Amino acid sequence: MSAFRVILAKDLRVELRTLQSVPAMALFALTAFVLFRFGLDRESLDGSLAAGVILATVLFAAILAVNRLFVAEREEGGFDAIRLAPVDPAALFAAKAVALVAYLVVLEAIALPAFGFLFLDDWAGLLPLAGVLLLADAGIAAVGVLVSAIGVHSRARELIVPLLLLPLLVPVMIAAAGAAEPLLAAGGPDYDGVGRWIAMLALYDAVFLAIGYAVYDFLLED
Amino acid sequence: MFRVSLLSLRNLALASVALLVGGFALVFFYAPNDADQGFIQKIFYLHVPLALCALGGFIAAAVHAIRHLRSGDPVHDARAYVSIHISIIFGLAVLVTGSIWARASWGKWWVWDEPTLVSFLIVFLLYATYYPLRFAIEDRDRQARYASVFAITAGAFVPLNFIAVRMAESLVHPRTFATAEGGMPGEMWLTFAVAIAGMALLWVTLVRFELMAKSARARISRVRRALDAEAPSAAPSRIAPAVPSRAGAG
Amino acid sequence: MPALPLDEAGKYVAAAYLVFLALVLVYVAIMAARLARIDRELGELAELADERAGRNPVAADAGAEQDARGGAERQGLERERSTRQEVFRG
Repeated sequence: MSAFRVILAKDLRVELRTLQSVPAMALFALTAFVLFRFGLDRESLDGSLAAGVILATVLFAAILAVNRLFVAEREEGGFDAIRLAPVDPAALFAAKAVALVAYLVVLEAIALPAFGFLFLDDWAGLLPLAGVLLLADAGIAAVGVLVSAIGVHSRARELIVPLLLLPLLVPVMIAAAGAAEPLLAAGGPDYDGVGRWIAMLALYDAVFLAIGYAVYDFLLED
Repeated sequence: MFRVSLLSLRNLALASVALLVGGFALVFFYAPNDADQGFIQKIFYLHVPLALCALGGFIAAAVHAIRHLRSGDPVHDARAYVSIHISIIFGLAVLVTGSIWARASWGKWWVWDEPTLVSFLIVFLLYATYYPLRFAIEDRDRQARYASVFAITAGAFVPLNFIAVRMAESLVHPRTFATAEGGMPGEMWLTFAVAIAGMALLWVTLVRFELMAKSARARISRVRRALDAEAPSAAPSRIAPAVPSRAGAG
Repeated sequence: MPALPLDEAGKYVAAAYLVFLALVLVYVAIMAARLARIDRELGELAELADERAGRNPVAADAGAEQDARGGAERQGLERERSTRQEVFRG
């Protein structure tokens, strides 16, 4: 358990010091909002359009973080260290997953207010939306860690990661957008029918966390 | 690896021809026309079996991948690879026949409110990344292992994806396929059954066919290496010492 | 969703089944090409084996040539194998 904490603390500290991922993600999100404003020719959003914009932005921003998740381990020999140390290799993967969730939460802390500021007439739906996004983040992290580990050893990492990650995240998009749409409705958040989408997200998270736990060993082997 | 038995490649091929041709004959000479869709409905006897076999193939690939990770035996990796390969080809056929059906029924070449078709597109896009993934990893063992991890992950993804898409579509449109399938007379069910059986046998036949071709190529390489190893040191650059012909196996 | 008249519908149904037929036949063609290649390689190997078995003294020159060709061939196979995973045990 302490190995998990050590690795997680290390990652967060490194991120805080080098600011590799999160600022880029935040900047990307803001630029994406501008693109959407002009691409959709809309100045205010609600309902399904708003849900689509915020979720697409978060998913694409996640790619930036997933790309960089294991790079330090690869370059500094972290994989070998984990293999040699008397430590459960699951700690590495769990720490990376939690770190990714942390980056996404920070991103959302910046992007959601910006989104509300730029597009929303009514901010009431943002807080429940943040809750939905937290569940979505868990799903993104579960597959993101797998895809990142696969990608870090391949030649065209920046190409492989989005190619693998985005189709896998389609159910997350479907469920999160399904939940977000009533929450961002024009007349204020509507909680009707959100439950089934939350259940779908929870199912997705459970399945892929289980899969990740089952296969991580094989990603770590030399 | 292949025993000449009841399940030999030749017998499989013959059986799939018999069932598939028989099935298609039933489609056009026996099964009645659908009340709603008319003659167009005949496409389903082709489209649905292809889809079921492709999906079954992806699940089979995941099973092979699990066995590969457990045992480390590359045979299972080869089976996973070929299973995905054939299933992707079937998947392409599913999408094209689905598109033709959409055009015939709705006048458009694609419809977003047919959940099975949309799910299939997503699954197809995911499995299409299997090839770039394999080509991007140079180390052979690692490539096989990572490909197996991918096959397992993608296999778990397939049912989740279908559930999610179904949930998204069912709010807006009732499942059009259900209305076509609901209340199908016995003749239609029989035709479907034969078509599905024939398609499944075709899938297995093609997989076996492909595996046999790969096996032959591998054996040729081994023989080639064995012959070269047996050669007296004719070329000065040869490093390998003279070893028995079993050298360089695998 | 009104049903199309038979002659119109027939074209679409025929197109779908033809697509299936085309895919199967393309697959047959690809496998035929592979079989031809296997046959060719086996032929080369059979020649090689004959030469070795015959212990042809002239093969010193022809052998070196054969080795060079075999080397290039093997390189091609190596490259292919590293991406195609042919690792069957007999």
